[in-house]
Amino acid sequence: MSLEQQILQFIITGITVGSIYALIGLGFNIIYNSTEIINFAQGEFVMLGGLIAVTGIQVLRLPIFFAAILAVIMVAVIGFVMNLLAIRPLKDASPITLIIITIGASIFIRGVSSFVWGKEPYTIPAFSGDEPIPFFGAVIQPQSLWVLFITMVIVVGLKLFFDRTLTGKAMIACAFQPRAARLVGIDVSYMVLLSFGLSGAVGAAAGIVIAPMSMLQYDMGVILGLKGFCAAIIGGLGYPWGAVVGGISLGILESLGAGLISSGYKDAIAFLILLLMLFFRPQGLLGRSKGDRV
Amino acid sequence: MDLGSASKIKGLSATNKIMELLLTTEKLTKDFGGVRALDNLDLEVREGLIQSVIGPNGAGKTTLFNVISGVIPATSGLVRFNGETITGLPPHRISSLGTTRTFQNLQLFSEMTVIENVMVGMHMRSAGGFLSSSFKLPWVVAEERRIRDKSMEWLEMLGLENEAEMIAGSLPFGRQRILELARALASRPRLLMLDEPAAGLNIRETQDLAGLIVRISKLDITVLLVEHDMDLVMEISDHVSVMDQGRKIAEGDPETIRNDEAVLKAYLGEE
Amino acid sequence: MTFRSLLRSPYTGFSFFTVLLLLIPLAVTNEYYLNVLIIIGINSIIVMGLDLLMGYTGQISLGHAAFYGIGAYVSGVLSAKWGVSPLMGLLVALVGVSVIAFAVGNPTLRLHGHYLAMATLGFGIIVFIFFQELIFLTGGPSGLVGIETMTLFGITFDSDRSYYYLVCMVMLIILLLSINLVNSRVGRALRAIHGSEVAANVLGVKTSRYKVGIFVISALYAAVAGWLYAHYITFISPSSFDFYFSIKLVTMVVIGSLGSLWGAIFGAALLTTLPEFLTIVQEYETVTFGIILMSVMIFMPRGLLRGVEDLSIKIFAKISNRSEVQEGTKQ
Repeated sequence: MSLEQQILQFIITGITVGSIYALIGLGFNIIYNSTEIINFAQGEFVMLGGLIAVTGIQVLRLPIFFAAILAVIMVAVIGFVMNLLAIRPLKDASPITLIIITIGASIFIRGVSSFVWGKEPYTIPAFSGDEPIPFFGAVIQPQSLWVLFITMVIVVGLKLFFDRTLTGKAMIACAFQPRAARLVGIDVSYMVLLSFGLSGAVGAAAGIVIAPMSMLQYDMGVILGLKGFCAAIIGGLGYPWGAVVGGISLGILESLGAGLISSGYKDAIAFLILLLMLFFRPQGLLGRSKGDRV
Repeated sequence: MDLGSASKIKGLSATNKIMELLLTTEKLTKDFGGVRALDNLDLEVREGLIQSVIGPNGAGKTTLFNVISGVIPATSGLVRFNGETITGLPPHRISSLGTTRTFQNLQLFSEMTVIENVMVGMHMRSAGGFLSSSFKLPWVVAEERRIRDKSMEWLEMLGLENEAEMIAGSLPFGRQRILELARALASRPRLLMLDEPAAGLNIRETQDLAGLIVRISKLDITVLLVEHDMDLVMEISDHVSVMDQGRKIAEGDPETIRNDEAVLKAYLGEE
Repeated sequence: MTFRSLLRSPYTGFSFFTVLLLLIPLAVTNEYYLNVLIIIGINSIIVMGLDLLMGYTGQISLGHAAFYGIGAYVSGVLSAKWGVSPLMGLLVALVGVSVIAFAVGNPTLRLHGHYLAMATLGFGIIVFIFFQELIFLTGGPSGLVGIETMTLFGITFDSDRSYYYLVCMVMLIILLLSINLVNSRVGRALRAIHGSEVAANVLGVKTSRYKVGIFVISALYAAVAGWLYAHYITFISPSSFDFYFSIKLVTMVVIGSLGSLWGAIFGAALLTTLPEFLTIVQEYETVTFGIILMSVMIFMPRGLLRGVEDLSIKIFAKISNRSEVQEGTKQ
């Protein structure tokens, strides 16, 4: 492969991985948009989605489609439960407390997963085979196309949901002005509950669709969650398109860096970008800078 | 110099002072995105007086304080304190030049005790640092004693000495307001800016506050006051500036302002 | 000095604590237990620093394992590869950590809340990756061997007992310095920043300088702990300084009680020994850890030490109320 073809390959990989980061970032944004909380357990939703789907396929002998639906629904329910048990009792807690609680939840979920599924890696077969498709000298895995497709469907779906439906708009209103939202009749805690479930569903979808391409393991959620968060920050926390822009950019930069410079430092690239964004443009690529008022 | 009714309360000592310009703003402007909160504002604060800034809601009064004290940056224009330009300086630098302020929404250190709050007020008048404090050098120990004694004096002056060891956040609201004042006084400012100190106080407490502010003024501290309570403003102010939509629309002594056309329009137009 | 002031003075507790620590090896001779106590001591040092940063000054660090690791690796590498004495290794580590903490702290501590948390987290992970990838220096994932045992001023600390005393001494010195610091003008300034950063600023506290200053100090504490760790185990690997350990450190601070040095030590002790108890049922460790974390945050968000304190005040108040009712004092 020539250099251009290699770069193209890296970019293709980057877009695929970036889409996953985008989906995970979207999960962060959904909860953040309704309640300004950062859910450190977001990555665990991804892991659960993948592993539940595996159980559906291998144990329950379900076809992939139904296993996926099952996983998405179950993780949404887990999101509800997490909200009810861990978040709702502490609505007015300090940021540190909330951060620690979601970290505690992620540790707990990981512990239970290591119990249920053990510590070995799992995988599921690619949705439509793994015959690579040639593309200008590089190759595209069919699964990558699935990743892109599902990502686009979810992104567009969410955009429509937040822009056009009453429930979606209500959810966004809750983070900005919870009191005002309540005054106009929005049940804020219900919206927050929904946002956790929705975020779980999106995370699960990400986990399922990436499963054929990477190993599913009880602790895969940690780094994925962090990178998804990077994607959200890079694009601008709270902006749906932001997670997409952030995710794809991150994926491409990471892939190029790993391919051209060094693969050992791959993760460091993501976090270096995160630091630079936080230092120089914390509102993200799409965000507008906030003024401070006392 | 016509001081109106205020001089009856304060005595006539103010008339004997040379009234220098302590604080001035020149064409001070602050934009928040599309909103212009301060619009080429020229303000003069003379030393030794109690000066009030009033205006309908949204006039920009708190923004004015925030810009003067350095909490938010100005978009353009100047602020001068004692001849020095202070626009663009960080808040702690501005304070070190001799000003301090209180906050509309009360920014006490609620988890610290009452006396500790006041002791922080003396931060600029002490010097113990990381190393000297960790090793408890003798001069630091002596300084700590001095800080504590002086802080207790301030508490006694304001009637808070019995609550010295109580947690600040546990005090009733009116007492918390007084504590914030004590803390500000402990830094011995030349200019004390009070942001709606009467907000949330009942009539009795507001009366006490008025007396307190007059006493403070007698300590050679210039007071700049932002307030909504008209009775308070009229009773104690030597000079009143009126703002509306970021601009100064009138100024003078309380009697003049009370009858000013533009002022009445600004307030009535609000209803 | 009245008896009451003696009771309230932090130095009284400190003296008792010192005596207690000195007496422990007389009762505990089992090597395993001494080993655990040494690790508790080392962890307490880091957690005290973290408490100064998080509990007193109100900041967050989810990446403090990085400084712990830098302290360990700088002295460890110098010792293993170039035979540098531990004392020299400590000095170099402290200088290095100061520079890094200052450089990272300045831009990072301008952030607040989640942004600050994520920045420190990112920093911690980047440092961890460097530990793993700089194989020629650190030995990579397989670790670094051949670190010299601790020799200071001619004394070699090669028994668990002697190392216990060394760690105790270092910990007690740091505790004493910290007690002095929090009960001083600096301590008040830090707590003021926590209470209301804007009010602190307006009262003349140079908040950015204090925040960076305490960040550097907490990093130095962690580096000292790392130094002690490296020359004790004489073998270190990146997995001891990863993101999980950073989270564990935060857990120790928070569960112990933020804003209390005794709480920091208590939290370190509790969470260092807990896995030892849970080794019996190893698989449950992570789950239990998570449950404990969440439960404490939900039911006793101020931490165990404060939570127990608050609880006992409530119970005491209820009892005295009831006895007053019975005596007919209250209606």
